[in-house]
Amino acid sequence: MDLQSILIALTVGLASGAIGSFIVVRRMSLVGDALSHVALPGIALALSYGIDPFFGVIFFILAAAVIVWWLETKTALPADALVGILFTASLAVGILTIPDQEIIESLFGAFPTLPTGMLLLIIVGALGTTFLIFYLAPKFLFFTFSEELAATKGITQKYNLLLLVIFAFVVALGIKLVGTLLMGALTIIPPIIAKNLSRSMKSFIFASSLLGALIGVAGVVAADYFNLLPGPTIILFGIILFLLSLPFAKGRHYISVFR
Amino acid sequence: MKEILLVRNLSVILDSEEIIHDISFSVRSGEALAVIGPNGAGKTVLFRALLGLLPYRGEIYWQKGIKAGYVPQKFAIDKTLPITVQEFFLLKAKNFWWPGKEWLLKLVHELKAVGLDESVLNKKLTDLSGGQLQRILIAFALVDHPEVLLFDEPTAGIDIGFEETIYTILHRLQKDRGTTIILISHDIGIVYRYADEVICLDKDMLCHGRPTEVLKPEDLAAIYGEGAIYKHGHGHHGLGH
Repeated sequence: MDLQSILIALTVGLASGAIGSFIVVRRMSLVGDALSHVALPGIALALSYGIDPFFGVIFFILAAAVIVWWLETKTALPADALVGILFTASLAVGILTIPDQEIIESLFGAFPTLPTGMLLLIIVGALGTTFLIFYLAPKFLFFTFSEELAATKGITQKYNLLLLVIFAFVVALGIKLVGTLLMGALTIIPPIIAKNLSRSMKSFIFASSLLGALIGVAGVVAADYFNLLPGPTIILFGIILFLLSLPFAKGRHYISVFR
Repeated sequence: MKEILLVRNLSVILDSEEIIHDISFSVRSGEALAVIGPNGAGKTVLFRALLGLLPYRGEIYWQKGIKAGYVPQKFAIDKTLPITVQEFFLLKAKNFWWPGKEWLLKLVHELKAVGLDESVLNKKLTDLSGGQLQRILIAFALVDHPEVLLFDEPTAGIDIGFEETIYTILHRLQKDRGTTIILISHDIGIVYRYADEVICLDKDMLCHGRPTEVLKPEDLAAIYGEGAIYKHGHGHHGLGH
């Protein structure tokens, strides 16, 4: 059993589910899902300079988070279309510049064999970020709920930026294992399952975080057992859980689709 | 009395259209100021500028460290958000995850003031009726005892019984807590009953002063057109309490 991958899946899964819950309630799932694509040119650049791809990923993804925030809050430009173009352009550049033997791994993840220092960085980073997310949760929630009311408490747009930056950091932590195409999905799937099962915000955030860890670990174990790529296995396991959660949806907002 | 808010040469321009043009006024601590004007006059935009939610030209000075409560006129919530009424109030608590019993008792007290009991706390916010939500929003604005209350259309879309409750709450806030109140209203009755000062806004500031001095019926008609503002019961309503 691959202990390293399980530890990464567990801790990054916790952080993914926690931060994803705010991305989903802010209705930014699509941006969240695709943001990870931006990591690809970062990987290419890092590889060509012989440094760990993680640092290329971090740089590109954090830059993308700031650009998304800037487009959405500081300009009158059509943010959704521009973000779509930015993400697909990154994908295209990445595909053309990453060496062939690295491409599948970059897109869909792999069982990592990391030096101890790097592993520790990911685990401590993910756990620390999870605590930070829970600490900041009321502020993110207040801002999401009503910008006007949050303003009376001094909670402003900067929390929106903070949310995106934390989100980008979590995505960067998981990209080695889950891959650039699928890592975004690991942040979005746990909260959409949790939303079907929860009647309060606290239980929603907790459930989302725990589901992130569960999906990550179960996906890694299954991929290891059946000798599959970890990224797609994790995501498919999450989607199966989502389908199973549908009958529990409160408020019937999914069921009404079928009437 | 100390000035709690100072506004100088304020203009707000949105999408290259000027919504508010060069207005100046000040509010003293403990005072009640009413902002009146026809639809589209820029009243809510003024509130949003005062709260720092919109870009503006000119100067807005709040007294340092002031706490403000805001009751918006419209409040849209995502129906799929799984948030309970208690969690909504927890957004303002010092400790969201573990608020403690004392906080909860205070909250129940504030709920009683708007005519709600604690059974509402475990309901989902999205399941409340319009009237209940309005009460919750008022309690939400008041729960941490703000020095200033900004209230957008207190009596729009609520039943008569609760209108009286709002009058009572406003009156008590002013008297007991010395809260400064800035309210937007179509209802001239409220303005006469509660406002020390009134501003007539229609992009420009058309009048400013004590309601009894500046709100002559003929002036109102000249400014807003006949029937643009209804004036219920001035003379036999209020004033005598």
